[in-house]
Amino acid sequence: MPINLKTPVVESREQRLGTIIAWDGTAEELAQQSGYAREGACGSCGPKARKLCEIQGPFTQGSICSEMMVECQAGNVRDAVTVQHSPIGCGVGQVIYNSIFRNGLAARGLPVQNLHLISTNLREKDMVYGGIDKLENSVRDAFERHHPKAIFIATSCATGIIGDDVDGAATKLEAELGIPVIPLHCEGFKSKHWSTGFDATQHGIVRQIVNKNPKKQEDLVNVINLWGSDVFTPMLGELGLRTNYVVDMATVEELAQLSEAVATVSHCFTLASYMAQALEQEYGVVEVKAPQPYGTVATDKWLREVARVTHREEKAEAYIEREHARIAPKLEELRGKLKGIKGYVATGSAYAHSMVEVLRELGVQVDGSLVFHHDPVYDSQDPRQDTLAHMVDNAGDVTNFSVSSRQQYQFYALLQKVKPDFIIIRHNGLAPLASRLGIPAIPLGDEHHPLGYQGLLNLGESILDVLAHKKFHQDLAAHTRLPYRKEWLAEPDPYILARPAVHN
Amino acid sequence: MTETVKEKTNSIEQIRYGCAIGALHTATAIPRVVPITHCGPGCADKQFMNLSFYNGFQGGGYGGGAVIPSTNATEREVVFGGADRLHELIEATLKVIDADLFTVVTGCIPDLVGDDVGSVVGEFQRRGVPIVYAETGGFRGNNFTGHELVVKAIVDQFVGEYEGPRETGTVNLWSLLPVHNTFWRGDLTELKRILEGIGLKVNVLFGHESKGVAEWKEIPKAQFNLVLSPWLGVSVAQHLEKKYGQTYLHIPAIPIGAKETSAFLRKVAAYAELPQEPVEAFIAEEERRYYLYLEDFSDFYAEYWWGLPAKFAVIGDSAYNLALTRFLVNQLGLIPGRQIITENPPDDVRESIREEYRRIAEDVSVEVDFEEDSWAIHNLIRETDFGHKPPVIFGTTWERDLAKELKGALVEVGFPASYELVLNRSYVGYRGALSLLEKIYTTIVSASA
Repeated sequence: MPINLKTPVVESREQRLGTIIAWDGTAEELAQQSGYAREGACGSCGPKARKLCEIQGPFTQGSICSEMMVECQAGNVRDAVTVQHSPIGCGVGQVIYNSIFRNGLAARGLPVQNLHLISTNLREKDMVYGGIDKLENSVRDAFERHHPKAIFIATSCATGIIGDDVDGAATKLEAELGIPVIPLHCEGFKSKHWSTGFDATQHGIVRQIVNKNPKKQEDLVNVINLWGSDVFTPMLGELGLRTNYVVDMATVEELAQLSEAVATVSHCFTLASYMAQALEQEYGVVEVKAPQPYGTVATDKWLREVARVTHREEKAEAYIEREHARIAPKLEELRGKLKGIKGYVATGSAYAHSMVEVLRELGVQVDGSLVFHHDPVYDSQDPRQDTLAHMVDNAGDVTNFSVSSRQQYQFYALLQKVKPDFIIIRHNGLAPLASRLGIPAIPLGDEHHPLGYQGLLNLGESILDVLAHKKFHQDLAAHTRLPYRKEWLAEPDPYILARPAVHN
Repeated sequence: MTETVKEKTNSIEQIRYGCAIGALHTATAIPRVVPITHCGPGCADKQFMNLSFYNGFQGGGYGGGAVIPSTNATEREVVFGGADRLHELIEATLKVIDADLFTVVTGCIPDLVGDDVGSVVGEFQRRGVPIVYAETGGFRGNNFTGHELVVKAIVDQFVGEYEGPRETGTVNLWSLLPVHNTFWRGDLTELKRILEGIGLKVNVLFGHESKGVAEWKEIPKAQFNLVLSPWLGVSVAQHLEKKYGQTYLHIPAIPIGAKETSAFLRKVAAYAELPQEPVEAFIAEEERRYYLYLEDFSDFYAEYWWGLPAKFAVIGDSAYNLALTRFLVNQLGLIPGRQIITENPPDDVRESIREEYRRIAEDVSVEVDFEEDSWAIHNLIRETDFGHKPPVIFGTTWERDLAKELKGALVEVGFPASYELVLNRSYVGYRGALSLLEKIYTTIVSASA
């Protein structure tokens, strides 16, 4: 199904990909039931391969919303402003994404600055009479204050319900100000998973910012990532390629040249699926169809595919050989030290699949993993991007594989089943519980830390570091009380409250 | 001073408060009380990660952070209403979460589609479940007004009626906004300590020194309510006066330093009609220790070579702003350059706040600004004449670049303080004042070379 760029509203993940947020079983089963070439789609769900059986329970804990992902993507473009058309509460996100933005800029060696997000601060009266005047006012404020190269508008649950004509206002203001004014539809209630917010941002960028008449730059590769340290430049540099990092911390000009690149890669398909496919579809920018570059097997495949589509095969082979030889002794040493250690991965979906591969290559035992959602397919629908199947085929099954949208109450029983020595996380919310159970966490704030050949060694070292933290966590575990009822903590099945399977 | 002629905009850039549902922290700040949020999927996390995590990295505590139950409302709840979903969530919460009291707070979605939250919660209340609710949709107000709504909800729906006797010498303390104020835990501990020092029994109600809901049940028995803030909590005290016939003492300035704190304690003691001797004995002992440390500090203050700021600005909510300004002027002899109040206090209290600043000291009168939009705030600071050397700014993370631009020092004292780790640090009372001195001058000395 092609990506539809004609309408200003992005199609949600569940509409496009059949995304689910609750599921329990083995990784092998989930790979089987997902939409790629494998046989055996869920029988009870009908013929459409992408319809996965999803479980749904009455108890849910606070999750994350699409608007937050717009804030942390569009809101972190260096020379743009994002106007949050919402009551003031959505605006508090400015705090976290400012802190991350500042530290990301510092880590990447870019000038540190505060982000540019403006709340329209809607009040009770606006809920009755509409908030368009305030939106227009704030967009003009954004323009006068910062002279931005583009202005994004993030919608909210409130404006979605009252039905403000944000698209109309954006069109009018774009003509008035002479810069792209881009509505991003990201009402939290419209998608069950926050990654739709990534798509909303990317939808707006492809529609209104990328250069419509691109001049090809045959050595430029788009890297869709977050705030991670600059590991792609040296890697791609080995092949004589330049990087174009987007969306966080990019400039509008860097976003505009997305269509000029020769290829697109990413650190995670969950993040990059939509825009990488849209750029291929609209501008022939090749989305590199290879597993994500974590662990030697996937990194080899990834480099070879990058080299193939950019015609630099020889350089790649030499680099691969050199890197294998370079990391071998250290890898061996780490495997020795990590023998008998058990790890657990609890991160975003595609990223988790890769982390399991990295841990297993390091000799760490992985009996369980939790992902926040599952996309049965990514937008390309190309089986070479089937990260879950790649994990199963390359590194083996994970017997306790759970989809749980950051539901801490389920995490307790999941950890009891597996009893890991450490967990790997990115998002907040699960590590605090693990910590109170005596289990330390590695928070991968720098998403590139475990990437590529060096990433294997990086993660191995980080595991050794965090195992020492056990002293802290075990002391804490002996002196803490969990907010869950005894009966619940005694329950071995974290999905017991769920209703019989429903179809999404 | 340059006057900004442009009409005030609705825009708020670099926010300094959350919305009414941010008052979910009013529940999490009470031991073993857990909020239940009826709202979109991001609201609970947003208010926590920003008001608590990236504000001193305070931690979620027992029932905050990712523990918070939420309906995570979807299109279905928007189109068909979410009352059934809320009912289902509460029922399930009772099976999963171990709490002494649940506090339902609502977001924009149920408040706009008109869910009858009262009748859903009412059903559980009739079953004897300890649960209350407050309608805190984001468009209704900020987390300050939300706090008062939640407090009143707990009083009316959980504490309930009381006809019995009063306990002389017991006071309910209503002061800093929990969690939003980065230092609330340490400050409430210090306030409780000094009030107990003069012989009061203190229902501190929030934080690690609170006895949880048992203490809240004691509220009606207290002799009086003490409102220690420029305005927050006054409407709570008035509500309690009406409900329980309890009187209240309102002292706008939270005391920092011996001078302020001793005067504060004498005022409270007089109101509570405490015997004078033990009060004076406590004050004398606290002052003895305080002034020994102040003497130690004075060597640095008198002899440090490389220059210390003379003028200061405070950007923050009225409670800390007023408290800091009084301390910096009266204890340290600093010169106020600009004071900006950022929490959007109700119109009817603004004049009384202005009056407080007009009499900071006998010889010092300050005209205070009210502004929430950081763009305007930073311009006000840039327009200020700080004299021949850069100021020290008491502000937030938003001022990090501004302080560099002005070559001044920044002490992050309020939301958001994303570059501070705060556990039990306090800046108020006798002990907090010394920590504050350490913080201010460590910041300045540390940046000097």
